[in-house]
Amino acid sequence: MTALDRAIRHPEPVRGFAERSPVDGLDRRSVGFLDVLAQSVSAVAPAAAATTIPLLIASAGGSPVWALASGMLIALLVASTVNQFTKRIAATGSLYTFVSRGLGRTASFVAGVALLVGYGFISMFALAGAGYYLQILLGDLWPAAASSLLPVGVLIVSMALLCALVLARGIRVSTRVTLLVESVSVVIILVLVGALLYQNGPTVDWSVLSLADATPTTFVVGAALALTAFVGFESASTLGVEARRPFATIPRAIFRTVIVAGLLYLVASFSQVVGFAALGRGLSSSTSPVNDLAAAYGIGGLGLLLDVSIAASFLACAIASITALVRVLFSMGREGLLPSALGRTHARYRTPFVAVVVSVPVLTLAAIVTIALAGGVWRAMEILIVGAAGGYITAYTLACIAAPVFLHRIGELTLWPALRAVTATILLSVVLVVYLVSESTTDRVPGVWVFLAVMTLGIVLYLVRHLRRPWLRHAVGIYDVPVGADVLGAVTFGTAPVDGAGETDAAGRLGKPAAGS
Amino acid sequence: MTGDGSPSGLHARQPKAIHSALTVLEEVARCGAGVTARQISDNLALPRATAYRLLNVLVQDEYLVRTPDLRGFALGRKVVELANLVTPAAARPPEAVRAILDRLRGGIRGGIHLVRYEHDGLRVIDPDPDFPPSDRSVILSRLESSAMGRLLVHERRGRAASAALGSAAGLNAAADPLAHADPRSRPLSDIQDEGYASQIDGVTVGYGCIAIPIRDRSGRLVAGLCLCAPRERIEHADGLLAVLRQGAAELAPLLA
Repeated sequence: MTALDRAIRHPEPVRGFAERSPVDGLDRRSVGFLDVLAQSVSAVAPAAAATTIPLLIASAGGSPVWALASGMLIALLVASTVNQFTKRIAATGSLYTFVSRGLGRTASFVAGVALLVGYGFISMFALAGAGYYLQILLGDLWPAAASSLLPVGVLIVSMALLCALVLARGIRVSTRVTLLVESVSVVIILVLVGALLYQNGPTVDWSVLSLADATPTTFVVGAALALTAFVGFESASTLGVEARRPFATIPRAIFRTVIVAGLLYLVASFSQVVGFAALGRGLSSSTSPVNDLAAAYGIGGLGLLLDVSIAASFLACAIASITALVRVLFSMGREGLLPSALGRTHARYRTPFVAVVVSVPVLTLAAIVTIALAGGVWRAMEILIVGAAGGYITAYTLACIAAPVFLHRIGELTLWPALRAVTATILLSVVLVVYLVSESTTDRVPGVWVFLAVMTLGIVLYLVRHLRRPWLRHAVGIYDVPVGADVLGAVTFGTAPVDGAGETDAAGRLGKPAAGS
Repeated sequence: MTGDGSPSGLHARQPKAIHSALTVLEEVARCGAGVTARQISDNLALPRATAYRLLNVLVQDEYLVRTPDLRGFALGRKVVELANLVTPAAARPPEAVRAILDRLRGGIRGGIHLVRYEHDGLRVIDPDPDFPPSDRSVILSRLESSAMGRLLVHERRGRAASAALGSAAGLNAAADPLAHADPRSRPLSDIQDEGYASQIDGVTVGYGCIAIPIRDRSGRLVAGLCLCAPRERIEHADGLLAVLRQGAAELAPLLA
């Protein structure tokens, strides 16, 4: 080990590393693997999805188990492609930053808007969902509360306050809270599923898995709906700055989230299909399949537990999605794409608290207005979920296109990652089109229009802001760079430049972070 | 370098992988900072996919870091730990040193540790047997939160400033007030002004520590005398400081 030995004993001065990262101010390298995993799992909200998505697929004529299996396959392909970035870039902007590194700034605007739509709409959906299920619970105790919209509004506002408090208080607080809440709800679902399968007895009718009735169209629609059960798995990548050993923990968290959620969905959908087949009914004949099954098999008391679990899962989802949302806003604020106040952090809690203070009231108000306009909580949720799914899948598609370009740019493109990225891109494009078209034939069509309108508006606003600030061209796509303290023999300078202005002699040799041109 | 972090996860293929990983580290050291993945795979005649995977694993474990443009690699500070793991433990300090430490420990309530600074890293060479210091990995992972780590960070900054002497960037780094943005710790310039490092609540809540630097004649940091005690004793340490400074002055000729 001669050269290594020499380098350790007498480190050569290495220039080009800053003392502080451009995303300085967050609690750098402070949360471990479990927290990162909790972020992704909670954003997916597997307990809530496991009880609602199989019904949606069955109503659209698909076979839930097969659809969820193919959705899982697509999600795994996307996860492995997104991980090409997370293994190399530690950022808070997630897919927005990643796309800027591959496709440049125009594509990254679209990805950024799509991602904000995804996180924003799913946060509103989750807040509304938690309110909806808490109202059902409340209605059992106090029937007068079950009918009117006022209690839901109060519940949503108070939960939004709770979210804001947890989010501002520090990243460790919010990931620990979501981890606890989500684990409890997954355990409740597993208990229910276990009880259902046990009640159903040892004879399982495997013919329910037959694909004889399926047509290619219902299969693709089913897979598209199934993919929406997985969206959010990439949100761990917004913790790039705050995670310890981010290049190890984040890819692992993203991949394991898809595996854990996928297995839960397969077991849950299988038990629902088998349960209804044994009753001689179709899954789509029910409005709340797990509750109906629990009642039919004489374990109706568990239905109450189920509502608690779904409400908890939605609350964790809201916290996790807003966590991701504010970190994307933080990234854009630091770059100057959005007002720079959004890039400010709290001195003590080290969270992007301005982004929290701005986004939580906006999301809460938008959720309440949507509920008022749609005339019901469930109806509003149906519209919001379409927008969220559209946003996520658009951002995934762009990230999968960007991945091979990025790898080629840094000279690390190899065959298999490229093939996986291309396959994922094709599948995602098909899914996106099929999903939006099939949704526009249902009564959820307002969701499609809202999604398209918000996307267009967002992109136009970005382009206008960008035309007025041409210097931003160099600043898009900041990420955490190793600081002097991480590098053997580093000779540091102030802060890594986010624009060309900070370039100095010391920065000259290794260059500033690659501009997104 | 266990991919899963599980201690029992070693299997038959790994010795080869460890060999390749060390070869890659060696190659980065030989080529210097900024070497690209493609150059490494060419130089070592490794298949591309293998080389990239090894590089990514080494980056995950922070033995390597990517340069800010993401194309190149440099050795991470963590390779020093690797070296310290394989070099034999430092010999016990001489009898004269231990006698001074025993005397100090007899007179002061709290943990008294002697730290050695070498190869750009630190090592506790004589921990207090009655009040063992915090785990080494904790101190190394967050240098700025312990007093002994803050001495090392301060020394590195000073070295960086003198290495970049004449370059405005280097001088700015040493004098930049924003460089000490962490509000929980005191600014490192205190070490310059007061001649010692201290912290409270940084490692264990309710406790703090003081580290007195011990330098050789050229002014290089070679060792540190540390006191760890409950926070109120660190906050009102005026009497203790004189004793510690006296001890450090006696230790200096024996260690430098």
